Amino acid sequence: MIEAKTAKQRRKASQPAEIVKPRPGPELMKSVKRLQRQAPLLAFQGLSELSVRLRQLTGRDVIDLNRVMEVAHFVYKQQQLARRGPNYEVDDFGFDPQWTESFLSVFTVLYRDYWRVETTGIENVPATGRALLVSNHAGVLPWDGTMIKTAVFAEHPHPRHVRALVANLFMGMPMLSWFLRRTGQTVGHPDDTRRLLERDELVLVFPEGVRGTGKGFKDRYRLRRFGRGGFVATAIKSGAPIIPVSVVGSEEIYPMVADLAPVARFLGLPYFPITPTWPWLGPLGMIPLPSKWRIQFHAPIHVEKHPPEAADDNNLVMALADEVRDTIQQGIYDNLKLRRGVFL
Amino acid sequence: MTSESRPETLTPARPNRVLVTGVSNPLGAEVARRLAPHVPHLFGCDRKDPTSALEEMDFVHADTRHVAIGKLVRRLKVDTVVHLAVMVDSPQDERSIHETDVIGTMNILAGCSGPSGHVRRLIVKSSQAIYGAGPTDPSFFSEDMTNSEWPAPSVTRDLLDMEQLITEFAVRNQSCSVSVMRLGFRVSEDTTLARYLSLPIVPTFAGFDPRLQLLHEEDAAEAIVRAVLGHHPGVFNVAAGGVVLLSQAIAIMGGRPAPILPPYGRWIGRLALRALARVEMQAHLADVIAFGSVMDCSKLEAEFGWKAAYTSRAVIDGLARGKTLEVIEAPSPPQEYELQVYLQRRRRANRNGQRAAPVLEAHR
Repeated sequence: MIEAKTAKQRRKASQPAEIVKPRPGPELMKSVKRLQRQAPLLAFQGLSELSVRLRQLTGRDVIDLNRVMEVAHFVYKQQQLARRGPNYEVDDFGFDPQWTESFLSVFTVLYRDYWRVETTGIENVPATGRALLVSNHAGVLPWDGTMIKTAVFAEHPHPRHVRALVANLFMGMPMLSWFLRRTGQTVGHPDDTRRLLERDELVLVFPEGVRGTGKGFKDRYRLRRFGRGGFVATAIKSGAPIIPVSVVGSEEIYPMVADLAPVARFLGLPYFPITPTWPWLGPLGMIPLPSKWRIQFHAPIHVEKHPPEAADDNNLVMALADEVRDTIQQGIYDNLKLRRGVFL
Repeated sequence: MTSESRPETLTPARPNRVLVTGVSNPLGAEVARRLAPHVPHLFGCDRKDPTSALEEMDFVHADTRHVAIGKLVRRLKVDTVVHLAVMVDSPQDERSIHETDVIGTMNILAGCSGPSGHVRRLIVKSSQAIYGAGPTDPSFFSEDMTNSEWPAPSVTRDLLDMEQLITEFAVRNQSCSVSVMRLGFRVSEDTTLARYLSLPIVPTFAGFDPRLQLLHEEDAAEAIVRAVLGHHPGVFNVAAGGVVLLSQAIAIMGGRPAPILPPYGRWIGRLALRALARVEMQAHLADVIAFGSVMDCSKLEAEFGWKAAYTSRAVIDGLARGKTLEVIEAPSPPQEYELQVYLQRRRRANRNGQRAAPVLEAHR
């Protein structure tokens, strides 16, 4: 590794000055410049005074200054990230932890205020070492994955990044593939799962795949077939415990009443949903409904006690896959009972 | 030479008489230079003149595309063939790349095979391009995988054909140990990827920021030399550790990424690159800068006990440094010479009261 600073200086010297130097804009007056510099502070002072006045008038918090600070913090973090230039490391899968953490604060707002997620059993997720999280998959877009990631990062005493496996279909899509890779996701390939587990990562897998996300509203909370049990074989081979995860609430974010299969086939998508808002309202139809969510992490199923050769035992693999599936289904029923209503 | 003199064991002794094909390209020259102190008899062959003279090496002008190369292998009684005349990133057309990669390798194999052959060790240069690059590929390619996209780019198809021939040869000739080195993409010489990354404004595919894995020229030569001097039959991925994102690589090189190429239809992007930046991006490289391609080199590390000294980031840092030095330096001697000639002609023309003729035409 060379010294980044000297290389940068050399590079600057090497290029014609008009490319390196930004074009000088119109010269501002000194007072305008000072105002520009102090604008964030003044804005925050004004907001705090306004919130105090509003509290005196109405008797309750109209403007939550903590939220305002969070937004300011997010902007500041983004500026810091932009200042890194190319001087940051990504792991071999293209995961950029700093960048992901800056975005997790946005997802935390969704987690806490929009879907009001209640998470139980977070102590079942190990603070160190490998583990395979297996979850049910629902909702037309995979918001449940982001919420599980946020839950582990925000609620766990030892915050960890969950590495989800996504269908390889999404890896060909512009923007989405870039975002998924950069936030630590990788292709749902047995080799990728094994490599991630060997690096002692937390891996999240949805064995239902697009069969789960693309099911209609009338089939909600009924688990589909769990692939061919490949996730159990990988877990046994890598010696990782399986932690079943039940997610409740993700089914109601986009109630899918119909699936236009010919349109989906034409666009190369697995399904083309029709919901009460999509595609009638255009992009507005992509806003998910604010249902009440519950996430439960179950006690780990210790498949690592089996020897690696057991991965070839189809009978055992299917039995374990069924056990995981039953745990998740039971967890869904329990959490549905605990929920007072769909939007409460 | 009769068949009785052949050693009975499958493990060959140290290489004695070594033939390096394609010694005139920079990699071949470097491999020959590193092999020379370790090998009693070193032969080199290529179509072009060698770039650097090597006293210990006997150079022969020979084209692997011609059948005579087989005769050369037999007559020289070489026991080790290092086949580096495999074109992957070349400005030549598809037809001649196919001829060199597939037919050239076939001729070399013909020289090595049969009961009358003396060759005990064959090292062939292959490339990461054999895996192709696509959205459905896993994050890492290991040696047992093959290209999954169809139709595959022509270079990928040629390399698959070539490795198929080598596999068949290895099965039929058990007395010869065959190593295939799948080298990662290199940027240190004048490769397409290096030219692309050196652009001041780099057009990229909109919405994609793939991982790049590169290989330093020195590491490539070192891996091949280790394969020649050791006994490592099989297929090996050779690439630098770690990855660097395309946007990072462009920023390190001092360029600016411009996501203007359309995300679908790689050929439109290739045409646009040719028109905008005069970079002839080959189909397999266009896939790489859209989706990225990373190899798993754990087999190499386990078998050779060695791994690439430069990481992908160090490779791109080195390229950036080299580029910078090149720009900072004064004009190179030929340019200076041309400038002198031009100025002289101008002075003379001024004296005679004529306009100066363009210097390029004068040199034709």
